[in-house]
Amino acid sequence: MFRFLLRRLLVAIPTLFLVITAAFFMMRAAPGSPFEMSRKLPPEILAHVEAKFGMNRPLGVQYVSYLAGVAHGDFGPSLKYQDKSVLEIVREGFPTSLTIGLSALILASLVGLTLGVLAALRQNHSLDYSVMGIAILGVCIPSFVAAPLLRQVFASNLGWVPTGGLNGPISLVLPVVVLALPQIAIISRLTRAGMIEVLHSNYIRTARAKGLSEPTVVFRHALRAAIVPLVSYLGPACAGLITGSLVVEKIFNLPGLGKSFVLGALQRDYTLVMGVLILYASLIIALNLAGDMLLAVLDPRVRLS
Amino acid sequence: MRKALGLLLAVGLLAGLSACGPQKAIRAPCPHGSVCLEYGNGSEPVSLDPPKTTGTWEDRVMGEMLIGLTQNDPEGRPVPGMATSWETSPDGKTWTFHLRHALWSDGVPVTANDFVFGLRRLMDPTTASQYAYLLFFIKNAEPVNAGKLPLTALGARAIDDHTLELTLEHPAPYLLEIAKHQTMYPLPEHAVKKWGDRWTDPGHYVANGPYKLVSWRLGDRITLEKNPLYWDAKSVCIDQINLYPTIDAIAAERRVRRGELDLNTDIESNRVAYLKRPDQMPGYVHTHTYLGVSYLVFNTQVPALADRRVRLALDMSVDRDFITGKLLRAGETPAYVFVPPGTANYQPIIPPIWTTWPLARRQAAARALLAQAGYGPGHPLKIEYKHSNSPASMLVAPALQADWKAIGVVTTLAEEEGQIAYQDLRVRNFEVGSASWIADYNDATSFLGLQQSQTGAQNYGDYKNPVFDALLAKADNEPDAKTRAAYLARAEEIMLGDATVAPISFFVNKALVNPRITGWVDNLTDWHRVQYLCVKGAR
Repeated sequence: MFRFLLRRLLVAIPTLFLVITAAFFMMRAAPGSPFEMSRKLPPEILAHVEAKFGMNRPLGVQYVSYLAGVAHGDFGPSLKYQDKSVLEIVREGFPTSLTIGLSALILASLVGLTLGVLAALRQNHSLDYSVMGIAILGVCIPSFVAAPLLRQVFASNLGWVPTGGLNGPISLVLPVVVLALPQIAIISRLTRAGMIEVLHSNYIRTARAKGLSEPTVVFRHALRAAIVPLVSYLGPACAGLITGSLVVEKIFNLPGLGKSFVLGALQRDYTLVMGVLILYASLIIALNLAGDMLLAVLDPRVRLS
Repeated sequence: MRKALGLLLAVGLLAGLSACGPQKAIRAPCPHGSVCLEYGNGSEPVSLDPPKTTGTWEDRVMGEMLIGLTQNDPEGRPVPGMATSWETSPDGKTWTFHLRHALWSDGVPVTANDFVFGLRRLMDPTTASQYAYLLFFIKNAEPVNAGKLPLTALGARAIDDHTLELTLEHPAPYLLEIAKHQTMYPLPEHAVKKWGDRWTDPGHYVANGPYKLVSWRLGDRITLEKNPLYWDAKSVCIDQINLYPTIDAIAAERRVRRGELDLNTDIESNRVAYLKRPDQMPGYVHTHTYLGVSYLVFNTQVPALADRRVRLALDMSVDRDFITGKLLRAGETPAYVFVPPGTANYQPIIPPIWTTWPLARRQAAARALLAQAGYGPGHPLKIEYKHSNSPASMLVAPALQADWKAIGVVTTLAEEEGQIAYQDLRVRNFEVGSASWIADYNDATSFLGLQQSQTGAQNYGDYKNPVFDALLAKADNEPDAKTRAAYLARAEEIMLGDATVAPISFFVNKALVNPRITGWVDNLTDWHRVQYLCVKGAR
């Protein structure tokens, strides 16, 4: 187990390195620059600006000095938001993204598991069909459709929640629900499929034959095996939820990191984009690893070596 | 199927239920007994350090905290700010400003030296200010900014604590306009010396204006509160301002409608007519002509477009009334000249005679011009029109294509992301391009200067006419306002005659303001300082 962990962490370093390198040069290859807007700067002024951020040096030198900075935990100043460092921007924005992402994950897991189990137990009955029908709908409706619809009803018309901005936990209700909806659909389908398969397996028949009560069979024996595919899905899903809240952040005007990421890319804020990218890449690597380890705990057939 | 119907019914029911009347708006917390303003500011400031900024949305924040020699009145015109009076030398090159006794928000007096410090910091090459060139009319500013002369050589000096002298390279009748601009704010030398670049952090920032900085969270809001040491604090009504970056104007519209925001500084152009309907929010919509022009630019390096007859034909055949009246629809006006109406220190020129003709006659004339240039049905002119993917540009492009098709021109539309489109204009990678310009300061030179041959990259079409250049240079050195205006008008006539640009429409500024906010005056420069605003019933 420990050796497995060590090896995966060692593999993570070159992975991150590759991500940083590819992103660094791809960003620089894009036309435009953080200091160019619709109005052109006189060349001598542009030279001052570039010198200030060390961008007058050869690209290779900039790359090496950026890597050296990152190794020391220095992600540089934001090229666009000059009053703030990349680290400060991440510190301001990440908690919001994290809160939304984790809440959505918890909500989706709770609701999705319940629905999935119910559907599996009532396989091919009306309950099963309606749960799966709603699930299909949930997957089909993208968040940029669900978000405005829900906002129109619950914020604009009913006024139960604000239409945008971050003013207390009530502001997070709709974003979390929107983010959770497709996940609920996927999780309930995964759970249902896993449950149905497991309920037909020999050891469940044995458990029933021993005369165990139905709840014990379902929750103690079947569920544990049934959620194995779910767990391998949840690792990447969690990373996706935390890093992919961009659409809801934009629609609900939330000060999360996803918005800074996209704006940063549009404005060619190289350092900000790189900083967020490194954070996202690390998150995805860490969560995938966590998912794998959890799988080993749940499924006795998986051996980490 | 029945399930789906049921679901639809449920959603419908919910929507119907929701028509029962909204609850109270959920707003940002406001301290008890205070008057708070929720302000949709359009975009996120890149900085609150004046020399590092270029945007109006930044000055909408900074200008609440810092006041220059002059400041905006409720109509956006310059009135005395830190300077209570001033004198000009007869040649117009030396200005002496007498400053009021005022304090920074930490109790330190504001002196003439803070102005000198602010200007030197702007011109200091290590500050890397992008807007330094705007003040190159100050003596030695350009060599100082290039690092060829020391900072002390700049034409700004403090005669005593309350007298400031500015020496200029040439007369600048627009100095009082620029004196309220973000490049000319005084900077608190004591605070900047103490904190360096981090003097803009909440807690470090000191202000000489009506408000001071409380907090700034990126993507969320900037909070300002009343500065009790401001010289006119007693007439300031609003105690606290939250400024939000509202990049999405439609989302902001929704928040204003719900009362979560009191105002937003923009409206999505094609929503203006709808919002003005009696059953919508007519009392909220504010529009006014603005100092901005959108125009087409012809690349004179492209052989076909080097021919003035071709450029003129394309210019003449554009149906501006259709573009402004049917497409843009927010009150934009058709443009036949380059300098917008209302521009200061200027006499509007009479547009070329063809602008008075009906469209059919213009089209016939355009076809004739093209025929003279050697184009016709068997050999049509083929051009590419390059434009950004902004909503307005996307609307206008097909209309231009149709207008030019009517005179037998085959147009290919090339749409690009905004930054890339402008980049292509700068490097001349275009044939016909779409551009726009909003005045840096209210003066005709802010527009005409674009077309000077020494302007370089931003003279997209590489317009070069020595007569035009000479007139602009003469205007720069002319102390008499009337003569100067005449030089500029002559220059504009020459430029329009050469038809290297085709003005399309003049901008409007648009804002959504809750009717309970008082003191908002629509104006040409779109400045609305919060110190003049109040909330109905607050006083």
